[in-house]
Amino acid sequence: MAAAAGAGGAGAGADRPQVVSHVQQALSYTLFDCKWVPRSARLLCLGSAARGTGVLQLYELRAGRLALLREIEKAKPIKCGTFGAASLQQRYLATGDFAGSLNVWNLEAPEIPVYSVKGHKEIINSIDGVGGLGIGEGAPEIVTGSRDGTVKVWDPRQKDTPVANMEPVQGESKRDCWTVAFGNAYNQEERVVCAGYDNGDIKLFDLKTMSLRWETNIKNGVCSVEFDRKDVNMNKLVATSLEGKFHVFDMRTQHPTKGFASVSEKAHKSTIWQVRHLPQNRDIFMTSGGAGSLHLWKYEYPAQRSKKDSEGAEMGVAGSVSLLQNVTLSTQPISSLDWSPDKKGLCVCGAFDQTVRVLIVTKLNKV
Amino acid sequence: MPVWLRGHSWRQSGSAVFLSLPVPGVRVTAANIFCTERYLKVSVPPFLFEAILYAPIDDTNSTAKIGNGIVFFTLYKKEVGMWESLTLENASKEKLQYLRENAVLKAHEKAKEETEAKKVTKREHKKYALEATMKLEEAERKRIEELKEQEKQKVTKELELWKDQLKDVENQRKVQKEGQLHEEVEQLKEKKKEKMNKTNIPSEETLKTRLKPTKGRGSCSMFSENLKEEQLPAPRSSGTIKINFTSRVFPTALRESRVAEEEEWLHKQAEARRIISDDLSELKDLKEEEKNPDWLKDKGNKMFATGNYLAAVNAYNLAVRLNNKLPLLYLNRAACHLKLRNLHKAIEDSSKALELLTPPVPDNENARVKAYVRRGTAFCQLELYAEGLQDYEAALKIDPKNKTIEKDAEKIRHVIQGTMQNS
Repeated sequence: MAAAAGAGGAGAGADRPQVVSHVQQALSYTLFDCKWVPRSARLLCLGSAARGTGVLQLYELRAGRLALLREIEKAKPIKCGTFGAASLQQRYLATGDFAGSLNVWNLEAPEIPVYSVKGHKEIINSIDGVGGLGIGEGAPEIVTGSRDGTVKVWDPRQKDTPVANMEPVQGESKRDCWTVAFGNAYNQEERVVCAGYDNGDIKLFDLKTMSLRWETNIKNGVCSVEFDRKDVNMNKLVATSLEGKFHVFDMRTQHPTKGFASVSEKAHKSTIWQVRHLPQNRDIFMTSGGAGSLHLWKYEYPAQRSKKDSEGAEMGVAGSVSLLQNVTLSTQPISSLDWSPDKKGLCVCGAFDQTVRVLIVTKLNKV
Repeated sequence: MPVWLRGHSWRQSGSAVFLSLPVPGVRVTAANIFCTERYLKVSVPPFLFEAILYAPIDDTNSTAKIGNGIVFFTLYKKEVGMWESLTLENASKEKLQYLRENAVLKAHEKAKEETEAKKVTKREHKKYALEATMKLEEAERKRIEELKEQEKQKVTKELELWKDQLKDVENQRKVQKEGQLHEEVEQLKEKKKEKMNKTNIPSEETLKTRLKPTKGRGSCSMFSENLKEEQLPAPRSSGTIKINFTSRVFPTALRESRVAEEEEWLHKQAEARRIISDDLSELKDLKEEEKNPDWLKDKGNKMFATGNYLAAVNAYNLAVRLNNKLPLLYLNRAACHLKLRNLHKAIEDSSKALELLTPPVPDNENARVKAYVRRGTAFCQLELYAEGLQDYEAALKIDPKNKTIEKDAEKIRHVIQGTMQNS
């Protein structure tokens, strides 16, 4: 259990948050996603075994090590998963696999999925859930984004057909959808899905009006998008991309032509694979990079969040982002990251060097 | 020939010799004085003074004081005693020579030793300095490590506490749920019992077993789920949103693009459009639209379509005179020449078109394929089958899915093999 060697370690004396590596576990399969099981000290690892089957492993954090509780094997490798649409008692896991199927599993009885649909023709790259876990209001829904260029929203109570489908126009050449995220779910009707594509497109779909609300292009493929909180009036959106850039959009004010104001940062010197906001503080987020590094950022709001432009239309003002800490854990990309919703600062990250690491970020109260 | 200095004088004590040497007119520096155990030399061109000393002296401690036109030596004797004279009087020439050389050698050695000694001390000093800095850095690193360790331990303790808390909460909740279940079951039982009393069906046993709460969370979720169902809104009515992706001149994402080449191609096209060579006086009587190369190209195309190849060539010629950087003009003119069987001209025009179609980008793929095919055809009709095959293969490389090109290439290969067999 090596202590984290960090370039930012020099700030140890000051009040900066430290990223402490708590547990490391070597796995025998390629890890694609890792998630905390809500209301517990258990975490889930999803991935692909060498023989081309999918693996689900449930670990529990015990006295400085990870104890394997369950191992489940499935026919197809699993790319992504979420607990977002499950109720707190049931905690069903929704997964997307390499064949394009969406399955919802009850981890107590994982042989047969609770809900299953072959939603896409190609791999499901990203999945998100909303309406469950006591967060947000409205129906529980799952959104999946796939390499076939479509983004589909599913309701686990409705079989076989999605409740919303965002697909390219007939004849348009498709671009891979790499990431999806829910947002703006502050009451029962409102909901918004943000999707990022490999050509740099970011599109915001409004599910209440079933329309495209905003789109932009950030030139480099979008690896990850996330709203700072899913269950409030949309406040901030962070989009990370290839070539080490990420953008923070201020989503409170939409200008009719210019869209949302944004600030962008260059970091990591390589692809930024994931961004995750701290559930307990929506202005702190962590980005993970292709060189095995993690950066912890804090967003500061500007003095005035909106101003009037020359024609009197409201436009947003983006704030600034400051780096709190950075640490290099691995030589391989860190492809997945998840904060624990129950313990502030506890997070798990999975890298392509087949290890899952549990980290603790300290001093987040003083930030 | 140096001038020997003879005007020296000396006196001695038991342990030292004092020699004073006047050096008139010139300045003496330390470099001019050379002294070893038995040999003393002062060489200030053009003056020279040397002395083979009577007895060895301690040359490291001996001093020379350089004054105004005079050098005063204080030479400490190695062995105490009185010297009969300063120098060895009856020394033979060879002995003198030998002594001189010896002296020089000795001086060299001494110098070497000194430098060695200096080097060694320098090295020692450096080592010491290095070790000192290393120690300091170690200390600093240790301090940071310790801080980190402390943090880690603190945090691990907190984590364990939190986990225990979680367990407690879970247990409490379980107890609560079971309590609730029990209550609800009791209530149901009561109701059933009332019914039973009215209907007298002896199925209490079965009812009881059904009402027994199943272990785990399944049952409690069943109860609470029923309540929740009423609060959740119905599934959304299905809808589809059609989207377009950001179009680019070249439909590739930044990660796949070959931006430099594409920029070049676009630039070239833009340049080509702007060229208007208007120094041709014969064009004055042409109508405005007839001076537009694009219009002329269209005219040419129309005439080609109707089969009027000569007129098409004329149109293209005029267009080329106006703007000789548009590759399509050459391409179409090549097609006309093919039809007219002006094969050499066809080859020329296709080649010119290919030249203008660099750099090779997906945008001008079609044009390049056509150019290669036309040139290939011309070669074949001239019976230069090898060159023709080359061009067909180039075309196939750009567009491997084109069946006609493949077939034609096959045909040419057969012909070549046929001629080779015959000859």
